[in-house]
Amino acid sequence: MYQNLSVPQPIVTVRNLSVMRGEYLAVDNVSFELLPGTHTAIIGPNGAGKSTLIKSILGLVEARSGEIKLFNTGKQLKRLKPEIGYIPQKFPFERTFPLTVSELVGLGLNSKQWWYSSKGQRERIYQALEQVHLTKQAPQKIGTLSGGELKRVLLAYCLVVPRRLLVLDEALAGVDATGEMEFAALLDNLKQEHNWTILEVSHDLDLVSRYCDSVICMNRRLLYQGSPQTTLTPENLLHIYGSLISPTCHHHEPSRRTESF
Amino acid sequence: MNLADVLSLFSLPFMQRAVIGGVLLGILGGILGSFLILRRLSLFGDTVGHSAMLGVVLAALLELPSTWTLIGFTVAFGLGVIYLIDRTDLGSDTVLCISLSGSIALGTIGFSYLKGYRGNLLSILFGDILAISNTDLILLSLLLAVTLAWIIISLPEQILLTLNSDLAIVKGVPVRGHRYFFIVLLAITIALTIRAVGILLVNGFLVIPAASARLICQQFVPFLVTAAGIGATSGVMGMVISGAIDLPSGPSIVLVQLFGFLAVALWCRQV
Repeated sequence: MYQNLSVPQPIVTVRNLSVMRGEYLAVDNVSFELLPGTHTAIIGPNGAGKSTLIKSILGLVEARSGEIKLFNTGKQLKRLKPEIGYIPQKFPFERTFPLTVSELVGLGLNSKQWWYSSKGQRERIYQALEQVHLTKQAPQKIGTLSGGELKRVLLAYCLVVPRRLLVLDEALAGVDATGEMEFAALLDNLKQEHNWTILEVSHDLDLVSRYCDSVICMNRRLLYQGSPQTTLTPENLLHIYGSLISPTCHHHEPSRRTESF
Repeated sequence: MNLADVLSLFSLPFMQRAVIGGVLLGILGGILGSFLILRRLSLFGDTVGHSAMLGVVLAALLELPSTWTLIGFTVAFGLGVIYLIDRTDLGSDTVLCISLSGSIALGTIGFSYLKGYRGNLLSILFGDILAISNTDLILLSLLLAVTLAWIIISLPEQILLTLNSDLAIVKGVPVRGHRYFFIVLLAITIALTIRAVGILLVNGFLVIPAASARLICQQFVPFLVTAAGIGATSGVMGMVISGAIDLPSGPSIVLVQLFGFLAVALWCRQV
């Protein structure tokens, strides 16, 4: 993976980060780096501070202390936001919300007058939907989509402009097993194609071991960090979850069963 | 009343001002109401509308100009309520109910201290679109111009923050600034609408046209245009009906909006 002779500069550097949620210390002195082109999963039990950690990186939650550096520059997060794609865990909206799939994808464009969309902009929206195999759904209302389709539309929203970092907060929550597999494979293909750096919160250890280059195990504090092979060991899982079998561990192929960890 | 009588009625300046006012209020209510219902702030419109009673009483007690005092009061009250919702862990409906009850209680007590003729204050409950003045029309036109400019400049950002505020923040949208500016526009619209239709019906102007448009539109821009169109058409039709059969004007407009909504809802069920 790291064939370059020169040392690659990290895309994300987190140093001694602590974040409060009310009176509760949700993230306690966490440090890590993400290298360009890598796919990293954050795992841990419920309430471990995983979502809080990525929300803090994205500027959605204020950090109590510590440092977050993006794209190895001293620039403010505000200036770097166009290069970050984000798919939230929850995306609640009323099914009658008057917005079509192509309009939602168009909102990802850095244009303020998108409804006058030029031919070029329409083409970019179409290409983004083509990459997630949803061109037929372009004129549909977003309320008519299934959970898996909606997540793919949000992926197209991220694709419509070039991104360097993609952050996913349990993006597959509420999606069925088939939808999960399709999304994970699609994400992996797009990552290779666009050389994205991906940071995601995941509960699916099978998909993590299959597609991720590195894993961050946390329970408010950083517990383990490294490749899936070295971090997802039975001893570590026992320590992280208090049990060998994670309650959200799906088995997508018999040959990749997580009992083999 | 025959057609000639109706036509002669609408040749009178106060009727023409009322029709223009109804159209402007309908367009404004349709546009801002579209965001209001999608952001689930319908109860907010009702709360600010009812709080206006306190604003009117304050203007009378302090002998201040009623229009400007009402505008200032609804803006300050609206921003205060949103600030409380943002700063407390209570649900927004709880904060709105507390604010509504508090303002009505203060308004009622203030009302009891007013001396002399108080009948004009009671008109705030029902409004009077026939009393709309040229100054009101100028204010409404300015407000509509600012609202349209705001939409043209920032529509994609408004849609994104309405759909998912986290996604908007990550994209760099100044969510808080947009939210507060929307509240200011909404509060001024409510203040001016109250003078025409009263605090009891003001929310109808905001909610009903947008709700009808939402049932029939797939895309966002057609949704906004349809809501504004329904608001404007209801304004004209309500005024014509009230003039033709001598009904109160404000309630006639709201009834036209209501029947429009019921027709759309029934039509959607059949399709």
